[in-house]
Amino acid sequence: MITKKINKKDIRKLLMTWNQEFSVIVPTRERGVAEMVRWDNNDISFLDWYRNTVIAPKACFLPQSEVMISFQKKETGYKIEVPRDEHKQIIFGIRPCDARAITIIDQVFADIYDDYYYASKRRNTLLLGLSCSNPYDSCFCTSSNVNPAESEDVDLMFTDIGDEYVIEELTSGGKALLNMSNMIKKVTKADVNRAKEMKAASVEKLKKRVDTKDIEGRLRSCFNDRDLWERVAAKCISCGICTFLCPTCFCFDINDEMIHKHGARYRGWDSCSFRSYTKMPMENPREEKWRRVRQRVCHKFEFYPINLGINACTGCGRCIRLCPVNWDITQVISSLPADISMHSS
Amino acid sequence: MEKELRQEAGKLLDDGTVDCIIGFAPGSLKFTTTPLIIEDVGELNNLIVNRFINNNLAKYLLEVTGRVGIIAKGCDSRSIVSLIQDKQITRQDIVILGIPCSGLIDLKKVEKLLAKERDEINDIVVVADKVSITAAGEKREVALSSVLFEHCLGCELQIPKEYDLLIQGPAAEICNYEVSRKHIKELKKMSPDQRWAYWREQFGHCIRCYACRQVCPACFCERCFVEESQPRWVSPVSQWQDNLIFQAIRNIHVAGRCTDCGECERVCPVNIPLRSLSKEMYDLVEEMFNYKTGMDVNAPSLMTAYELEEVEGLIR
Repeated sequence: MITKKINKKDIRKLLMTWNQEFSVIVPTRERGVAEMVRWDNNDISFLDWYRNTVIAPKACFLPQSEVMISFQKKETGYKIEVPRDEHKQIIFGIRPCDARAITIIDQVFADIYDDYYYASKRRNTLLLGLSCSNPYDSCFCTSSNVNPAESEDVDLMFTDIGDEYVIEELTSGGKALLNMSNMIKKVTKADVNRAKEMKAASVEKLKKRVDTKDIEGRLRSCFNDRDLWERVAAKCISCGICTFLCPTCFCFDINDEMIHKHGARYRGWDSCSFRSYTKMPMENPREEKWRRVRQRVCHKFEFYPINLGINACTGCGRCIRLCPVNWDITQVISSLPADISMHSS
Repeated sequence: MEKELRQEAGKLLDDGTVDCIIGFAPGSLKFTTTPLIIEDVGELNNLIVNRFINNNLAKYLLEVTGRVGIIAKGCDSRSIVSLIQDKQITRQDIVILGIPCSGLIDLKKVEKLLAKERDEINDIVVVADKVSITAAGEKREVALSSVLFEHCLGCELQIPKEYDLLIQGPAAEICNYEVSRKHIKELKKMSPDQRWAYWREQFGHCIRCYACRQVCPACFCERCFVEESQPRWVSPVSQWQDNLIFQAIRNIHVAGRCTDCGECERVCPVNIPLRSLSKEMYDLVEEMFNYKTGMDVNAPSLMTAYELEEVEGLIR
């Protein structure tokens, strides 16, 4: 892999260069909580405080609410407009867990099915990763096959080595970005070694672990154990925090709004934690709380592996850190009994 | 306090007085706790009391069946009483294990004070009216009142009034009504236009996760108005206008039921200062009706008790 570097004091200039051709998206906590928003072409203080965002970067592709079509009632029929979002963007500073999450959502919205709204934004976006140097105590990415300091899910990967960032080029798109600037330098052997050390140190810092071995089988064999799931779900309050802040949850609801003769069809986040989930088309098949909690766990760790060959939890820990009742998915996974079918065979 | 609590809870489970105990256990992360619902005496050692027992456990009484023993701080006890007043739960089904409370620590305040996040803090120790906080090898001592939740500073019931068993322990004087309304005072200084702009901005952040509603014991509706589609009161699309209307109606619905436990604000993942709305409503209820929620289990519920002599013709 081709590796380059840049001095930290040149980052602002680099982002400014890119910001002329792309919308540069960076972490900010301007509005009180950390999220990814359009860069103001100036402030790079996030490099000092940023650990991870509260709102996951999925919001750049699946916004909390977006217009699918807008319409106007005419004398005969409707005049309908479909928004086009073709602007090119760069997400700078995405963490490896969240970058993996985008790859996971891509499977649903861009690979299996080409979702116009998601895919048009996704196709025009480059992901620039930033190695984690200070993970939260709720982070457990190493248990989800994510390395906090490495990523194959990005176009460029930045690693802090002190006064400089070492940059790995992972795609041609990333390479083209680096070619836009004359501040990119060659790396020395010492830089590469330093980056290696920093990466190893990041992995070391991740203390929270969960054993996901045989998880699909373990979940399959206890699927009908109502007592177990009732216990697991007991303290859940059925809010939408874990699903809305999860970097891989993508459920949505569609609503039409019309005032006078103007209206729009909106798509917005929905959550399988809600009792009203899927009430619009029919009924919620998961009326009881334990069924909804089971759904969330099984979707991440059983259905995803079976259908798409990957577990849909990247260990970002948001659902643990921000849960009002400290419902901890790692404790739930650990408490599941062994796969009975394996013992009997 | 913990030892006595475990003993008493154990007795209740042992002699079959209750089917389960609802209390607090250590959380999986530093300075966190988690609700504990146990049927087995073997798990009693997990039962704890500390400065981080945030959740208003009264919420679980709406779900858990059978005879229930519940650990209750003053504020929780008020919510329990309010639920009894509203006939959502039956007094006979509940054994209240009251605990005195000297205020809970607001981690967001500690984080702000130290410019560090929760997991970067090593230790928080309360000694009398001081807290010593250690982070990154440095020890800092601050006044306890500077890191208590604002709703704790406005607490009107540090020792539960309604209980079956009161665990003995300290309840140091913590009240500071002025500070507990500090943010409301700032909002009131604004012009209506400024205030409107402020809330417009705040509700622009709302992600409609409904955590505020879900943690609130006063929100006990089987079906929330937000989920009604015929007629539709609020759009399910997250827009500041509808987000604000949702919260405004929620506040009106919990008027006379809100005990200022502060949970709505604590759990909000996007830090909307929701208590500034609920506390204002709480004070208005007192001012208009001379009524304090959850203080008297025999008092009629403010909003749902009617008499034949009511002035309002609508309900006669």
